[in-house]
Amino acid sequence: MFDWSVIFQNTDLIVKGLGITIYYTVLTTVLGLVIGLVIAVAQICGFRFFNWAGRLFVEFFRNVPLLVWLLWSYYALPIFFGINISKQAAGIMALSLYGAAYYAEILRAGIQSLERGQSDAARALGMSGAQAMRRIILPQAFRRMIPPLAGQTIIQMKNTTLLSVITVPDLLYQAGYISSFTYRPMEIYTAIGVVFLLILIPSNYIARKLEGHN
Amino acid sequence: MTSSQTSGTAPLVSIRGLSKSYGQHQVLKNIDLDVHEGEVVALLGSSGSGKTTLLRCINLLEIPDKGRIEIGGSAIFDTPAGAGRGAAVSQRQVNGLRSRVGMVFQHFNLFPHMSVLENVMEGPRTVLKENPATNRDRAMDYLGKVGMASFADRRPDKLSGGQKQRVSIARALNMRPQVMLFDEPTSALDPELVGEVLETMMSLAKEGMTMIVVTHELGFALEVASRVVFLDQGCIDADGPPADVLLHPTSDRVQSFVNRFHATAELMRPLLQNN
Ligand SMILES: Nc1ncnc2c1ncn2[C@@H]1O[C@H](COP(=O)(O)OP(=O)(O)OP(=O)(O)O)[C@@H](O)[C@H]1O
Ligand SMILES: [Mg+2]
Repeated sequence: MFDWSVIFQNTDLIVKGLGITIYYTVLTTVLGLVIGLVIAVAQICGFRFFNWAGRLFVEFFRNVPLLVWLLWSYYALPIFFGINISKQAAGIMALSLYGAAYYAEILRAGIQSLERGQSDAARALGMSGAQAMRRIILPQAFRRMIPPLAGQTIIQMKNTTLLSVITVPDLLYQAGYISSFTYRPMEIYTAIGVVFLLILIPSNYIARKLEGHN
Repeated sequence: MTSSQTSGTAPLVSIRGLSKSYGQHQVLKNIDLDVHEGEVVALLGSSGSGKTTLLRCINLLEIPDKGRIEIGGSAIFDTPAGAGRGAAVSQRQVNGLRSRVGMVFQHFNLFPHMSVLENVMEGPRTVLKENPATNRDRAMDYLGKVGMASFADRRPDKLSGGQKQRVSIARALNMRPQVMLFDEPTSALDPELVGEVLETMMSLAKEGMTMIVVTHELGFALEVASRVVFLDQGCIDADGPPADVLLHPTSDRVQSFVNRFHATAELMRPLLQNN
């Protein structure tokens, strides 16, 4: 009933899809973290306008389904703003901004969880706000934030599968493509699921280990 | 009511008309206070009288609403004439001036991700961009002075409360401040650890460091302070030599405050007289 040979006959396509999935995961995680840090700092800095803008950013992305946002970025952005972006660029932008909203919340919570005494002590030594952030607050906050950041990154990897709907050739897209000429979707999608499990179960395990250390 | 010591020279810390409110609640009401070089001022008052707020205003960890604060002759905060609210001078200047005021907190606030030595070196390293070798030598000197040199490589969480507080004193001293602020430095300590911190502060006072100390240790105020300032509901209620203010109080507030802490003062006296 099952014919697993289709998987071995198409490993090259699966490996290619895996490469794309990992590439988008890494790129959008890094971009998401950088943007997320900016948004987190905007939310807690001394300027009302930035607080408000940061909050709006987070609320927007946390309340729009990723699939809707992704399709909108690819199809509607060019129409509304007349800019033509490739599906790669649309995908990277959409996933990075979406991830940034969640990373921002983790970073903000981590920064705010530090007792006020730490920034008091830093400021009392004469440090500027930026120096206190860099030398005292962030090093401690990051340590506390490693587990939730790792968790969010795992979600980010799973979210890359949505890229297939805008025809970025990731793992899921390749699965659809292989099914279309082998007529063996059951076997193919099972295999793709196993690939994710093989990568994410150890990742989750490591994330939990890190949590234990803190 | 302010009877600041007149020593001819300009005061090191000069506060005029300082006011601060939180919402509707006015915590500091038009405070005038001068502190001269070498003075050790014990700042007393019941809970909620505004001691911490006053101390935090002196290095602008709290921004006052109104008034003028000078450190070493330069204004760090001033209400422009006619303006409703005061403003700190530029942020960069504030950071610079703040580094001339050392502060020791009730809960130590050591940096837990750094060793004891790194804690003490952190200010000069980041703020003054000082040469690491010079910084390290002087940091070790200060750690020696507070009796913590052999703990240089430890993490703060491995220390007792008294040891933490002595390290935090060394951390503040390593910036070579002109004045040191202490906010209840012994209140978070087990009773048997209070003595070692008070001793460290006494030796600092003997060396001529200018200090403003919020404390509930009346013994310390009597034996070490050169002057007692008593704060009551945001106003200076008494100001003068410790013996005058505490042993012959003219104010009912001070009287009841002293009565409440009399037992503690008696307990501290023998310890302090041994030194
Ligand atoms: N950040 C703040 N926001 C609102 N109210 C505050 C704040 N900080 C202090 N207060 C209030 O201001 C008043 C004075 O506080 P402050 O901490 O200066 O008193 P204190 O004399 O140091 O008291 P204690 O001996 O308990 O430390 C208190 O009523 C306190 O509740
Ligand atoms: Mg207080």
